[in-house]
Amino acid sequence: MLGSFTVSRPTELEDALRLIGEDSLAYWGGTELFLAMKMQLLVPDNLVDLKAIRQLSDVRRTDSELVIGAGVTHEQIAEDKTVRESAGLLSSVTARVGNSRVRAQGTIGGNLCFAEPRSDLATALLALDASVDFRSATGQRSLTIPEFMLGPYWTAREPEELLVAVRIPLPAPAGVYLKFQFTERPSVAVAAVESGADQPVRVAIGAVSEIPILVTADDWSGIDAAAIAAGIEPVPDLTGSVSYKRHLVEVLVNKAVAAVQAGVRDV
Amino acid sequence: MSEQELGRTVTTTVNGTEVSRYVLNRSTLAQFLRDDLGLTGTKLSCELQVCGVCSVLVDRSPVSACTYLAVDVDGRQVETVEGLAQGDSLHPLQQAFVEEFALQCGFCTSGFLMMSVALLRKNPDPSEEQIKEYLDGNICRCTGYAPIVEAVQLAASRMREEGNV
Repeated sequence: MLGSFTVSRPTELEDALRLIGEDSLAYWGGTELFLAMKMQLLVPDNLVDLKAIRQLSDVRRTDSELVIGAGVTHEQIAEDKTVRESAGLLSSVTARVGNSRVRAQGTIGGNLCFAEPRSDLATALLALDASVDFRSATGQRSLTIPEFMLGPYWTAREPEELLVAVRIPLPAPAGVYLKFQFTERPSVAVAAVESGADQPVRVAIGAVSEIPILVTADDWSGIDAAAIAAGIEPVPDLTGSVSYKRHLVEVLVNKAVAAVQAGVRDV
Repeated sequence: MSEQELGRTVTTTVNGTEVSRYVLNRSTLAQFLRDDLGLTGTKLSCELQVCGVCSVLVDRSPVSACTYLAVDVDGRQVETVEGLAQGDSLHPLQQAFVEEFALQCGFCTSGFLMMSVALLRKNPDPSEEQIKEYLDGNICRCTGYAPIVEAVQLAASRMREEGNV
């Protein structure tokens, strides 16, 4: 059961920015927010519906980056031709987030701001070296994913800030995203990507610890799955113990690295 | 806060019929459909967007009505299981579910039907794998799922033949 609240429906970004604050929360699909409100983890006085603000729904590409508006849904990203051509890994990841209803309603901005530790997007975007843009009534700033993701359900976003867009540098590295999942959310997820021959390889490990972790190396021989597994701090839960999840990390990192080296892409 | 600020009059089209109702902001779409409109074909179970029994379509897009605000359907089109049959003629998906024994207790069925409608509109000829992926967020404790996948395939082939997708 939800508590009582008012709802604002701005059509201009500037109006939304004036409304957002500690007790006045932005929402789009509500797939994360309404669950938190049902559990009384969040009890806002007002909700700011962003669905009428068109500029938050843009996907655009320049020579150097792909920019995805915060209000673009997982399903829209998965089906977007520009995303598929320039950052194919993100297409395949968003096609497998949550379930079909969450993909149809939930947005990239909402997913990141909620900072659910098992977020597929956070892990994939860490591997893709993405950054996030914020606007507030008084200013704007941009943060990298590690600067933004501080802990479970905890980000560097200030209450009056709105995440407006996600930027992925181009050309985006390519590779695979493997997850081990038998409940609604993954137990372990691994994104392994590479760019040119002179660029470091990147492995992001998510869902298993409080925030996703990035490991880089000059080439794939520098990725030691056993060492990564030993160094990670898994959160034990109903899907497995610490030692079991470390085992999963080692297996999944090895599988992901082998797949990328074998030329598998966008899986 | 005045009482008026805590709700608003919503005008929406439900299964082709325009309705206007005052709803509280805190009301979910499931409460609005079931309690205000009496459309109890949409069920509630987990209320966490996991089980899928409350699946309905808003502007042709699937939503979990348990976790969607009723005020958010203002100006939008809502489709529920009650809108599928045309008089006494079952929708091809409903007919196929009957023929393939794709239900037993029936509690999850309206959710599976609405998700299948959304799938076939997007993809009139889905593979078995694509059906399983799309219906992955709906839980059935009776059938073992295989008859549901078969029913969607049967309905899809009939609908393609009839050009009725």
